[in-house]
Formats: sequence, structure tokens, C-alpha cells
Amino acid sequence: MVQDIFYGLFVFLTLGTALYVTLGQNLIRAAFALFFTLTGVAGLYVLLGGDFISMIQLMVYAGGVAVLLTFGAMLTHDVEDPNDSNPLFNGFLAFVSGISFFSLIYYVLVETKWPEKSATFIEPTTGTIGKLLLTDYLLPFEVISFLLLIAMVGAVFFVEKGDRT
Amino acid sequence: MTLHSLLAVSTALFALGTVMFLSRKNSIAILMGIELIMNAAALNFVAFGYFSPARNNLLDGQVFALFIIMVAVAEAVVALGIAIAVYKEYNHVQADRLNQLEG
Repeated sequence: MVQDIFYGLFVFLTLGTALYVTLGQNLIRAAFALFFTLTGVAGLYVLLGGDFISMIQLMVYAGGVAVLLTFGAMLTHDVEDPNDSNPLFNGFLAFVSGISFFSLIYYVLVETKWPEKSATFIEPTTGTIGKLLLTDYLLPFEVISFLLLIAMVGAVFFVEKGDRT
Repeated sequence: MTLHSLLAVSTALFALGTVMFLSRKNSIAILMGIELIMNAAALNFVAFGYFSPARNNLLDGQVFALFIIMVAVAEAVVALGIAIAVYKEYNHVQADRLNQLEG
């Protein structure tokens, strides 16, 4: 019962702020709304038994990427006119395609019989995820760390390159 | 909290992200749409992992969601670096006006 209340709350937080991100004409406000969207997804992770992944979502996405996008929005657009900084372009066609896409996928999801289990497990996942990352998923883990290094070097390179001209 | 409702939530998030990157000209806004799509994919992985009837490897979905988060962060950092470099060069980040190479 309490779980359902929190589920509704987090779904409302996620979809309501995601709707604002999509519809809003102000880029800075959209960036702040995106922060709440990511927080709502972290709450959904908690309800799905993922304590570690929820904390990672809060730290990396809500604390990192959302702030990064806010700074990006502030650094790259005209601050004199923030209310019209992010106008909709071909909005009607985009919404028609979005709604038809959602209807199609939702029809497929409802019609499919997914193999489901009703019994749920809520137990700490951090240790198991750590063991999985160092045994079964060792190669993807190393590849990801290399990718993060390349991304860091690449970001510094691009910003420096813009500065030199 | 059923699997169907969670999949509906993540599909709605995906559709909103799609609308976002179809209907905006600002590169930062397009990047926000991509972040919404990445979140929808990770939420799908965790939801399927939670409701999966498998006996072993219960946490595979969460590990994949972790990888998705890391790849999304790398992509966001590089894309913002490109956006800032483009802004220094052209003084705007409107995606439809960037039609020159080696300007």
C-alpha cells in the first residue's frame, strides 16, 4: 500500500517534469526540471530493489549530468531573452509522431505475455554487483573505464580547440 | 506496481525524449532529450530484472543499467564539449544553422 503511494508519487514526479522538459520554452527551467525527472527515476529504482543503482543515478545523473547540462545551457545561450530560448519547432508533427510511437509500443507491451514472477526480493545489492563487475562483466567494465578516459581527454581537446582559434 | 505500468512509464519517457529531440533546434535541448531516452532504457532494464523469473543472475539488469549510465555520462561530457567549442566558433548552438564543415 505504502509502496503504491510512493510509486504513484515517483511516476508523477518523473512524467510531470519530463513533460515540462519537453514542452517548456525556457531552456534553464527545462534543465532544472530535468533534475527532478532524474530524481524521480532514482526513486523508481529504489522501489525496484536497486539501492546501489539508485544512489549512482542520484550522484551521477542528478548531481552530475543535470548540473553539467544547466551549465551548458547557461554558457551557450543568450541570457537576455531566456523566456523564448527554446522554441518548439514543428511541434505538431513531433507530438503526433511521439503519441503514435507511444501508442504503438504500448499496444505491443500490453498484448505481450511477459514471463513474470510475483514474489519480490529486497536485499542489499552492492556486494553482488561488485562481484559481478569483477567476474562476469570484467571486460565491459574495463572497456567502460577506457571509454571514460577517452571521453575526458576528448572533451578537454574539443574545448581547447575552440579556444585556440 | 506492475511490469506493464513500469513499461508504460519508460515508454512515455522514451516518447517524450523523442519529441524533445525532434522538435528543438538548440543542441543542449537535443542533448536533454537523449538523456531522457537513456533513462527510459535503463529503467526498462531494471524493471525487467526485478520482475524476471530467472533463478540466478538476478542483478544482470541493474549491471546493464549501470553501464548505460556510464556511457550516457561519457556521451554527455563529449557532446557538451563539442557544444561549447561550437559556441566559441559561431556564437550559437542552433543545430539547423550549423551547415559548414571547417568554417
